[in-house]
Amino acid sequence: MKKIVRSNYFKITVLAVMLLGALSLGFILKEKETGKEYTQPGMVVSLPDDLVKRAAIPGLPAPDDAEKAVPVYGNWKNFTTKDGLPSDKCYCVRVSGDKTYVGTHDGLAVYEKGKWKTYTSKDGLSHNGVVSVDVSEITGDVWIGTLGGLTRWSAGKFEIFNQFNSGMPNDLVYMVICDGPDVWVTTGGGAGRYNTLKKEWEIFTEQNAPMHEPWTYGVSAGDGKVYIAAWGGGVIEYNPKTKQFRDHTDPDGFMEIDLQPDDGLVHDITTATSYADGILWVSTYFGMSRYDGKYWKGYFKEDSGLASNFINFLRAEGPCAFMCTDNGFSSTNGTNWVTYKKNENDANGVAIVTTGGVKKEIPQSPSISHNFIIGVDGQDDVMWVATSKGVSRGEKLKL
Amino acid sequence: MIKRFLFFSLFAAVTLLNVYGQAKPANYGNIPDELVAFDKYMKAYKYHFLEPMQFYGAGREKIAPVGLKEIRIGFLGPLEGTNLVLMGKQMLNGSTMAIEEANKRGGFNGIPYKLMVHNDVGLWGAAANEIVKMDDEGVWAWLGSIDDFVSHVAIRITLKLEIPNVNTGNPDPTFTETNIPWVIRTIPDDRQACYVMAKQMVDIDKHKRIAVIRTGSRYGRVGVVHLNRTTTRLGYPFILEERFKDGETDFTDRLERIKKTNPDAIAIWGNAKESALILNQIRALGMNQPVYTSDRVISEEFMKIAGKNAEGIKTTCQYNPDSNDPKLKAFRIAYRQRFGIEPDVIAAHAYDGMNILLSAVQKAGLNRAKIRDILTDNRTFQGYEGVTGKVIFDQTWNNIRPIYAAKVVNGKFEFGPAPRWVKEEVIYKKVSREGEY
Repeated sequence: MKKIVRSNYFKITVLAVMLLGALSLGFILKEKETGKEYTQPGMVVSLPDDLVKRAAIPGLPAPDDAEKAVPVYGNWKNFTTKDGLPSDKCYCVRVSGDKTYVGTHDGLAVYEKGKWKTYTSKDGLSHNGVVSVDVSEITGDVWIGTLGGLTRWSAGKFEIFNQFNSGMPNDLVYMVICDGPDVWVTTGGGAGRYNTLKKEWEIFTEQNAPMHEPWTYGVSAGDGKVYIAAWGGGVIEYNPKTKQFRDHTDPDGFMEIDLQPDDGLVHDITTATSYADGILWVSTYFGMSRYDGKYWKGYFKEDSGLASNFINFLRAEGPCAFMCTDNGFSSTNGTNWVTYKKNENDANGVAIVTTGGVKKEIPQSPSISHNFIIGVDGQDDVMWVATSKGVSRGEKLKL
Repeated sequence: MIKRFLFFSLFAAVTLLNVYGQAKPANYGNIPDELVAFDKYMKAYKYHFLEPMQFYGAGREKIAPVGLKEIRIGFLGPLEGTNLVLMGKQMLNGSTMAIEEANKRGGFNGIPYKLMVHNDVGLWGAAANEIVKMDDEGVWAWLGSIDDFVSHVAIRITLKLEIPNVNTGNPDPTFTETNIPWVIRTIPDDRQACYVMAKQMVDIDKHKRIAVIRTGSRYGRVGVVHLNRTTTRLGYPFILEERFKDGETDFTDRLERIKKTNPDAIAIWGNAKESALILNQIRALGMNQPVYTSDRVISEEFMKIAGKNAEGIKTTCQYNPDSNDPKLKAFRIAYRQRFGIEPDVIAAHAYDGMNILLSAVQKAGLNRAKIRDILTDNRTFQGYEGVTGKVIFDQTWNNIRPIYAAKVVNGKFEFGPAPRWVKEEVIYKKVSREGEY
């Protein structure tokens, strides 16, 4: 071995390797410095200032605006099949009064006074796969969107709506919401509005609304308007009074890029909308958008506190939006962020609080039950998140 | 002497590693440099699809069930009630053949595979209901479909239910641009076809006035998007774009409008039957322009209806059906023996796709998340050599292998390598990327 090390061939080889290594490193660093890294996988391209400037968006909360601070939740309590859920795979959660409704792959679980009770198709649900739940503020009826129809739970009885008995657009109900006397559903065959007073369905597809296709997956309502997340078609804004539509799409028109960060929706593959405090929040599988009626702002994992760009669902409450991503649970007021992440190998995790660009990690024990988040809802100082491995209940922390 | 050889070998290896180990910038979807969106003017803020999506959800911990009598694999295809039935049956045949062969080899550890066949109807999102049924049936993965609309609706629910999907027949470029980490596609898409067709029409055949007639379905609407964008970027946008409905038989009014524009080439984007009828009516109107078509004309149905009018038309093909590959020859013989007909492009890709799917089940076991992991790891099936050739997955698990050009000569399609986009012929050059291709 010593002979080899002392030989000229070895020395030449080592020298050559070092030279080539240094050259390679210099090449890479030079590219990074000059912003010529054209397609760095998954990253936001570092652009010279004169190409794209992200102008300040008027109306966004200031980083030190304590009144609009993003609340931090903790003291998580996690529930799985061991605690009485019919399945660990939880699709949605909705809180109403003393009851919490959790939609799972194998039935609807209702939490009340510390106990779980399960309802399935044997009890009258249209399908065991419950993907969305809402409660009518007017009647108290519980509307349950399932993989096989819509179910109304009223006065202890289950009533089934499907495309054959009621004229619904499709049996797979991705989202159901109650908006006054109207019940809105979004399906792969279009959006539907059920007038509970007239007992009539009105269906919205590409035939009568500005959608590319009738693939609708999310819906929310606010300030007299309805916002439909149309897969591949962005957001369809509908005014039920005037019957006027307005569509919002990604202005660049290309699936493979986001040309400008704050020019409109970040992508047309939208998954959910939520409207609160005059702000429309939109989730996609490519990032998130915020729209105040005049300005759009885009958020990506790479330029904000968002846990992941793949967002299954979002819900806004007051000034904050809560995002269910495939790799963590995030919340924001548009400026500051809190992201919850569970450790891979144990039940603990962290809340990553980003305020004014400064990150602080708060240890949480236990953390949320899983990082793949599918649903969220909160009431008062309690937050529930539905995950692919159970449902979690957290309390607002006094920091 | 040996020492000297070893040192020089080491030196050469290190040098090569340095040269080829550099991350070479690659455009998503084989987009030619000169066609990258807005690239002539500015860089985009964010580029998608440059790294594979991960699946972070639960499921890998699930224990495989015991006591199963059959291993269920889903199939979704147009088998009745649509204009795609011929293709649907070919897809079913290809899938069935792969299943039967796998069962002859012993199935899954001695348990036979069973194909759970579902018909799709591209209406009111019915495909979603079929995927829910598959979940209720307990399929481990599924193959399908062909129609753009059906396939999109189906993969949204496959994401929700977390069932792996292998698509072998839908050419819609946006299909894999949805970021769904449960879907792979083994048939090259229309983005690749459009690049080849535009190259052929404009750069090679020097056409400047191109008129298009296409189906109004999503297949036509989305299919020609990249053709239009590409010819436009080359300086020659369509002079006219006419539409028709699937099932129509008389296209005279639209063809007369096209005739008035005096195009020097006509492109048809549609299914085999309508494309053949349009071609016949083009010639009947005395229009002798060169005709280019989408790849669905590569079928017995088209040749039968178009007859002599088919002579000279140019199109693309996702593989080379006349390849001398012994695997393809054996497949064609076995297919003819089993089904009594010639396999088409859909059958061949379904056969390959189902073999990939079954191989993933065999390797991963009875766990959907683990089957997904194997299908999408971009290692296990990267470079898979099927009867249709090599599979080259990009980061969206879309097969971006080079496709073929086809032309009807003496009443028969002849296939050859598709023209490449060569840097020297670009309409402008990006200084920052000189020397790379």
